[in-house]
Amino acid sequence: MKRKVSSAVFVAYLTACFSLLVIAPASAYIDPGSGSIIFQAVVGGAMAIGLTVKVFWRRITTFFSRKRS
Amino acid sequence: MHGRRLPASFRDPSGFVFEEDGVLKRQVNSSYRPSYDLLASSGLLAALTEARLLVDHREAAPDEAEARGAYKILVPERIPFVSYPYEWSFGALKDAALATLRVQSTALDHGMSLRDASAYNVQFVHGLPVLIDTLSFEAYEDGAPWIAYSQFCRHFLAPLALMSMRDIRLGAMSRLFIDGIPLDLAAGLLPGRTRLRPALQIHLHAHAKSQSRHASRGVARNDVKGRFSLKAFRGLIDSLEGAIRSLEWDPAGTWVDYYAEAEHYSEEAFVAKQRLVRTHLEATRPRVVWDLGANTGLFSRLAQETGAFTVSFDIDPGAVEANYQRMRSEGDTSVLPLVLDLTNPSPGIGWANRERATIAERGPADLCLALALVHHLAIGGNVPLPQVAEEFARLGNMLVIEFVPKGDPKVDVLLSSREDIFDDYTREGFERAFGESFEIVAADDVPETKRTMYLMRARSQGSTLEASEQRDEQRENERGSDEP
Repeated sequence: MKRKVSSAVFVAYLTACFSLLVIAPASAYIDPGSGSIIFQAVVGGAMAIGLTVKVFWRRITTFFSRKRS
Repeated sequence: MHGRRLPASFRDPSGFVFEEDGVLKRQVNSSYRPSYDLLASSGLLAALTEARLLVDHREAAPDEAEARGAYKILVPERIPFVSYPYEWSFGALKDAALATLRVQSTALDHGMSLRDASAYNVQFVHGLPVLIDTLSFEAYEDGAPWIAYSQFCRHFLAPLALMSMRDIRLGAMSRLFIDGIPLDLAAGLLPGRTRLRPALQIHLHAHAKSQSRHASRGVARNDVKGRFSLKAFRGLIDSLEGAIRSLEWDPAGTWVDYYAEAEHYSEEAFVAKQRLVRTHLEATRPRVVWDLGANTGLFSRLAQETGAFTVSFDIDPGAVEANYQRMRSEGDTSVLPLVLDLTNPSPGIGWANRERATIAERGPADLCLALALVHHLAIGGNVPLPQVAEEFARLGNMLVIEFVPKGDPKVDVLLSSREDIFDDYTREGFERAFGESFEIVAADDVPETKRTMYLMRARSQGSTLEASEQRDEQRENERGSDEP
C-alpha cells in the first residue's frame, strides 16, 4: 500500500535524481540554511500531494476493511 | 545576578537555564513573551505536557521574575541524568526523532512550529524521550517552510541512516559534529542503495545537493514565503516520519553471540553473584547507580529493583540496543541504557569544551557497579590497577566490584593473544591498588569461580589527596636515599 501511496514522492525523487547530479562539498563556514529553505519550496508540492494521496488511500482501505468485517 | 548560568545555555536570546540553590530554573526573557503566551493560550503547552512530549514545569512566583527583569521563571522537572545523542542506542535516537516530529505535528495543530530540532533538546525522562526546551516554539507563519528542517536531518535522519545502512558505529560521529552530521558528508558515506529509497534520496541526497548549490545565496524564509503550504508542511513531517520509521537496526544479526549474557558461569555461581550484588545494594540503598560495563543490563535491573535510578553503560552498541528495547518493552523507566567506552569516555565538547559535560561532571553516582569489567580495563586496555581505582573513585562514592583473576576463562582468553606483563594482576595486587582510593568494606568469594566480589567506599577527596601527597613524599624520600 505504502508504495502506491508514495507515487508523488517518487516524482520528487526522480526530479531530484536528474536535476542534481553533481555534489560539491559544502564550505564549512557558510550556513547551509538557504539551500534547505529553497529545497522545501521545490519539494513542497510533491509533499502535499504525497500526503493527500496517502490520506485518500487510507480512507479507501478503511472503508473496504470495514465493509468486509 | 544570583544563580549559575549553565554553560550550554547561551545561544538563545529568548531565555536561559540557570541553577540556584541546587534547583534548575529557566528564565523567559520579555522578548519571548508573545510566543510563550501563545504556547499557553493555544493549548499546545497542555497538549504536549499531557502527551508527555514536553518536560513538565511550574512557574515561579511573579516577584522572582520581576526581580530578575524576566517575563517568567520556570522550574522544570529535574532530568535524572542528562545524556547526549552520541551515547544513545539506535532505538533511543530513533524514538527521540519520532518524538520531535510528534511535537512538531502537535505544534502545527495549535498554530505553532518548532524553530529548533536539536537532538540535545531531547532527554529521557521516565524512559521516554521528552523535549526539554520550552522556548523552542514560535507562531506558525502561513506559507513559510520549516526553519529546523536542515537541523532535523543533520541531528536525526543522517546519523540514523548511517547507523542503519552503513555501520552502527557511525553513531559516534555525532560526538564529532555537535550541530549534527553535515548532509553532504552523510550523503557521501551512505551506500548507493540509499538513493533507491525515495525518502532518503529526497531528505538526504537531494537536500545535501541543494545545500551545496545554494550555500552562498543568503535566502531568507520570507523569500519563499507562500510557496510552502500548510499541507506541504504536514506532508514534509509525514515523509520524514516515514523515513525515520523505515530505518531499522537489529543487533541480533551481528552481535548476538557477543553480548550473550551467559558468562560461562554455572547456574549456582550466577545466582550467588546476583545475591551478593543484591545484598550490597540493599545495605547501601543508593539513589543513583551507574552500572559500568552493564552488558544487556541484567544487574542494572537488580539496582532498579532496590529503588535506584540506574544508568546502564556499555561499550557495545548491540548490548545497549538490546538493553534499551528491553527497557521499552518492560516499561522499567528507571533504567537508562547508554553507549560508553570507559577507556575513552564522553569528553566535554562544544564551545569552550563546556557545552556538553564529561561523564565525570555528570556524577558522582552514589554507587558504581563494575562487574566482570576490571580485566577488560587492566589487561584488555593496559590501564594499571591504581589508575582504574582512581577513576572509579571519581565516578562514584561506593563501588561494588568483581575481581576476575588470572586462571578465569575470561582472563585467559584476553591473555592468550598477548604477553603476560601483568605481574601485579593478583588478588593482593588488586586490593593494594584499590586500597589507596577505597576503603574495602566487604570481600566475598563468588562460589564455583575464582572471582571475588567487593563492596568499597571511596576515601574522601581530601584523604585521597593526602594519600597521594604521602606517596609523592615517600617517593621523594626513596629517590633521596638512592643518591650516594
